[in-house]
Amino acid sequence: MELTKTVAKRLLQLVIVLLFVTMFTFLLIRLLPGDPTTTIIPFGTDAQRAALRNDLGLNKPIYEQYADYLTNLLQGDLGKQYNSGRPVIDLVSQSLPVSLQLMIYAQFIALLFAIPLGIFTAYRAGTRSDKAINTSAFALLALPNFVLALFLSYFVGAQLKWLPTGGYAPGWMDQFFDSSRSPDLIEHARYLLLPAITLAVGQIAVYMRLLRSDMIATLQENFITMAKAKGLSNQRILWRHALRPSSLTLLTVAGLNVGTLIGGAVVIEVIYGIPGMGLKIYQAVFSKEYVELQSYVVVIAVLFVLVNFFVDFLYTVLDPRIRRARAS
Amino acid sequence: MPELPDTGLDDEIGSGPTATEAFEREQHEFGGVAGDSGLLQVGAIEAGPASTRRRGAGLGFGAWAAIGWMGFIVLIAVLAKIGILTWGDANESFASCARKGPLADEGGAKGFLLGCDSNGRDMIPRLALGAWTSLLVAVGAVTFGFIIGGTLGLIAGFSGGKTDTILTGMFNVLLSVPVIIMALALVAFLQGASGEEGALSPEMILIIAIGVVAIPLIGRITRASSLTWAQREFVLASRAQGAKSRRIMIREVLPNVLPAMFSIALLAIGIAIVAEGALAILGVGVRPPTPSWGNMIALDRGNLFKSPHIVFEASLLIFFTVLSLNLLGDVVRARFDVREGGL
Amino acid sequence: MADAHRHATPHRWTRLSAAAVAIALVTVAFTGVGGASVRHRAHQAKSGGDITFGLEAETTAYCLTKGQYAISGIQVIAAVYDTLTVPNSKGVATPYLAKSVEPNADFTVWTIGLREGVTFSDGTPVDAAAVKLNLDNYRGAPDATQAGSLLPIIFTPIIQDVTATDPLTVTVTLKTPVSAFADYLFLEGRMGIMAPAQINAGEECATKMIGSGPFTLDTYAPNEKTVVVKNPDYWQKGYPKADKITFVPVTDGAVRVTQLQGGQLNVMHTSSAQQIETLQNSGQFKTLVQQPGYREITYNFMLSDTAPFNSPVAREAFATAIDRNTVNQIRNKGLFTVANSLMDTKAPGYLKNAGYPAFNLKKAKKLVAQYKAESGGSFDVVMGTTTDAENSAELQLVAEQLNKAGINATIATSDQATLINKALSGSIDVLRWRNLHGSYSQSSDQDNYPWFSNYNVANPPPAKNLLNFGHFDDATTQDLLDQGRAAANVADAKKIYTSYNQAMAKGLYLLPLWFVNWAIGYDPSVTLNLPALPDGNGKPQFIYGRIPVLGLSASN
Repeated sequence: MELTKTVAKRLLQLVIVLLFVTMFTFLLIRLLPGDPTTTIIPFGTDAQRAALRNDLGLNKPIYEQYADYLTNLLQGDLGKQYNSGRPVIDLVSQSLPVSLQLMIYAQFIALLFAIPLGIFTAYRAGTRSDKAINTSAFALLALPNFVLALFLSYFVGAQLKWLPTGGYAPGWMDQFFDSSRSPDLIEHARYLLLPAITLAVGQIAVYMRLLRSDMIATLQENFITMAKAKGLSNQRILWRHALRPSSLTLLTVAGLNVGTLIGGAVVIEVIYGIPGMGLKIYQAVFSKEYVELQSYVVVIAVLFVLVNFFVDFLYTVLDPRIRRARAS
Repeated sequence: MPELPDTGLDDEIGSGPTATEAFEREQHEFGGVAGDSGLLQVGAIEAGPASTRRRGAGLGFGAWAAIGWMGFIVLIAVLAKIGILTWGDANESFASCARKGPLADEGGAKGFLLGCDSNGRDMIPRLALGAWTSLLVAVGAVTFGFIIGGTLGLIAGFSGGKTDTILTGMFNVLLSVPVIIMALALVAFLQGASGEEGALSPEMILIIAIGVVAIPLIGRITRASSLTWAQREFVLASRAQGAKSRRIMIREVLPNVLPAMFSIALLAIGIAIVAEGALAILGVGVRPPTPSWGNMIALDRGNLFKSPHIVFEASLLIFFTVLSLNLLGDVVRARFDVREGGL
Repeated sequence: MADAHRHATPHRWTRLSAAAVAIALVTVAFTGVGGASVRHRAHQAKSGGDITFGLEAETTAYCLTKGQYAISGIQVIAAVYDTLTVPNSKGVATPYLAKSVEPNADFTVWTIGLREGVTFSDGTPVDAAAVKLNLDNYRGAPDATQAGSLLPIIFTPIIQDVTATDPLTVTVTLKTPVSAFADYLFLEGRMGIMAPAQINAGEECATKMIGSGPFTLDTYAPNEKTVVVKNPDYWQKGYPKADKITFVPVTDGAVRVTQLQGGQLNVMHTSSAQQIETLQNSGQFKTLVQQPGYREITYNFMLSDTAPFNSPVAREAFATAIDRNTVNQIRNKGLFTVANSLMDTKAPGYLKNAGYPAFNLKKAKKLVAQYKAESGGSFDVVMGTTTDAENSAELQLVAEQLNKAGINATIATSDQATLINKALSGSIDVLRWRNLHGSYSQSSDQDNYPWFSNYNVANPPPAKNLLNFGHFDDATTQDLLDQGRAAANVADAKKIYTSYNQAMAKGLYLLPLWFVNWAIGYDPSVTLNLPALPDGNGKPQFIYGRIPVLGLSASN
């Protein structure tokens, strides 16, 4: 009952936020100067432009356009591209899994390095190795990710020619969005490796620091002292007993980041030529595809809010205080 | 059952903080978490190169190096802008030097220590003038973001209740829109609004665009800090004495929030420099031929394979500047921030 | 316990290191295996192989009558569609999809004879009704459902009527004699003939590609690839050779070359001098480079209906202030040829120098001062460019030279669509443009009339020729264009267009920069066979970067 009340409250919040986000984006996009007719019929006469604007519904008052959009949205119609008539839902199904997979791999790589490093530096807090690793991580934070992207594509792609410098092949997730895209896992991994590493590097330092802080705190708790007294090895203590309670914030943040990064890795997708949502958003802005752009924002907002919601929920259920109480 | 240690979290077992609230608490304590890797990374700033707190000891070597670097860069930037020491003409092209430089395929060019860009413009004066543009945009954006976002956050954290809910809601809505769309839309809108004569300079447009995007981020952090301080005893005491809210906010809370915010500001400037670079790569940076570190990278990233020095040089400058700002931000934090409930 | 500790530590870290090594090995394996697999894929020897073709941009909509296609779109169109005529290596528009294209005595009635038994890939015949439907939509006939905004501007002044006189004959009646009307049936590859099913598909015209070409559309993944597969019923027997072509958009030219080198692509096109040089110097790739004859030129329009360029003094100041040799040296490493003529060497009208002024900074400064005196103060120029780094850099170089002469030049960056809009509305003063103004040997009508006929159209007034980006009105050049359009023979055409070239130079409405050599780079496994045209019409022409793809094949 407590739980359902919380869930219901959160769901309501979700809907309200979504409503506001769509309204806000709608207005924001309408503020963009120029109109889509310049892209579709650049050489059209004024009469042709006016007619096209009418067809596209751009002459209706704003609230009416918004209402139309919302009605369509609730029926699952994300609209069509002005230029080609392509349904936006198709474009979303093709590009969303690309970005999602990229984000997931980036988080995975980041955690792969951050967890051992976090544990190690917490275990050796204050020592020279701790300081050295922290300094390096700190330095890494100052490296803009587009610079890293350019460097990697130059060295690894162009000079060493180990990995491709752009392109994409479908992975395991694409087929669920569009059944015609069958996986080509090796190529998929090759194309996404550099972009994922680029995104991961920016996160490694963050995650490592987070984990280190939480681990240091956990390592001072009584149940750790008890475990040591029982004769358990340090490795066992670190990985089996200390890691779990300390990792909650880390996993929360990693989860939230999947949501926030979806629309945010645009520069990486542009530099590497990855056909994800970020690249599509970027193109839609420049080709003044209003409806397409709005729909992308809605999709991202929904994902962001859902991820937030899910992580919140998980957190409430897995409250560390309860678990610590149980553990000791 | 041993006593559970105080972890600083809410004291109500069973209805602990939500993940987002814990997230925000961590944000405050760590200064934020990577939100958008591409654009605005309120990065893991609590990431001092050494241990978390260094008390008493003087500023370490790192801090002095950072201050030195920043001083150097600011000096170069100002001198270049006002024309006293320009190191040459940032706009003059030399056919003999085009694409040449250290590491370039075509080799170096005599008399051009750092080489030239693809138009044959000397890199040194361009980097110097670029420093000015990049810093101007970054500092301007952060100031803009702080004035608006900081004020709103302060009010939200202090007032609590309905005001807080509305303001936080506003922040969340703004944050749900992908940063890139906000920035691109704002730039496009402002370019259109400023008309053909350009009532708004391109730098101003970027300042506003990046600044607006920064508002919810800075707002949330300020709110967290303000919230912490607003619950302290001396504030409650002030209230009990009947002091007006606004007075308390400005007299009691703000002076405590400011030092932490100063540290965030330094970090935010670094982030804004990177943001300008990212926007330049997406085609909406500072208008050429005015150089900025970002648009120098954007202009010549196609020549990366043949003339890597162009991108490398600007990137190195960005790297060291952001590193210095992060270091200084951390030092400021260590000096001024009093963490409650120590471990 | 200390022992246990010492024992445990190395064990744990050994495990971690082992994991790290394993990961490293797997990664290396990926690079090796994957690389090999890509190369293998590209060289797969089924009968004709699979080609991966790198293009410089992506095209999202293929309703041909409505689009404004650039080379990337045109190259895909060449795979899926055929045009009624194509230029051959002698610069003559010869029938291709059509069997014959014959004018009457005074070039006012053209009879297009079609081939027997040619079908679209959906089985419907390429008959007169289908061709009429295409031409009506291209020209913007009143009942056309898929008329665009660009091509009707070209065709409305020319075509009076299109009739299907019998199942294999289409008769086109013109409003005015156009001796080179056959040229208009190619339009640099844009005039692909679509199946009626596509034209009548309403909104789906853009995505439902059905043509009579050597390939058919298989899949389209935005920003990723466009895959076309062999059309087994292609009307030219024995073609196409390849089984599949995957067109991949790679906007960055340097990356395109890298991908060719890395085996991701086996064919790519480029119009960048530096990349052509890289390909030629690489030793391992083959190139097909356009030779002088029918090349595009890059130039700067000076919009001359408003200040400052409504003054000839200002235009001359602009022209003499720009050191085109230096710009060519810096941007193209001097590899392109500076142009002083609208058309290239083999097109009627070519002159080594049609009369464009040379670089002369002193003269430029004088003219600038003169203009400022005449006009009361300032000489401000806004130059428009897209966000493309190459174009932007080039314009910055030009702006710098203008500033040296005393002209206050600023740069306005925007996306392509907005840029065109700005040019149309006149809110920029200089537009950098690239176009083909001489692609045939017998007439330069098709390449010049639509773009350079007067901005203010005399008949019917007060229409505007929106395609005249320079916004200029010149009675002399207009008269020459009209004469050239009706020229009865090649000798007359050559005389007329030579005068035209000179008149355009005199009017100085634009400043040509250089001729652009397109090039195709391909790896040795690819055979770039450009088969002879049907009916003994000669060999095809590599024009505007477009190559016929029916002869491409790849082998191991």
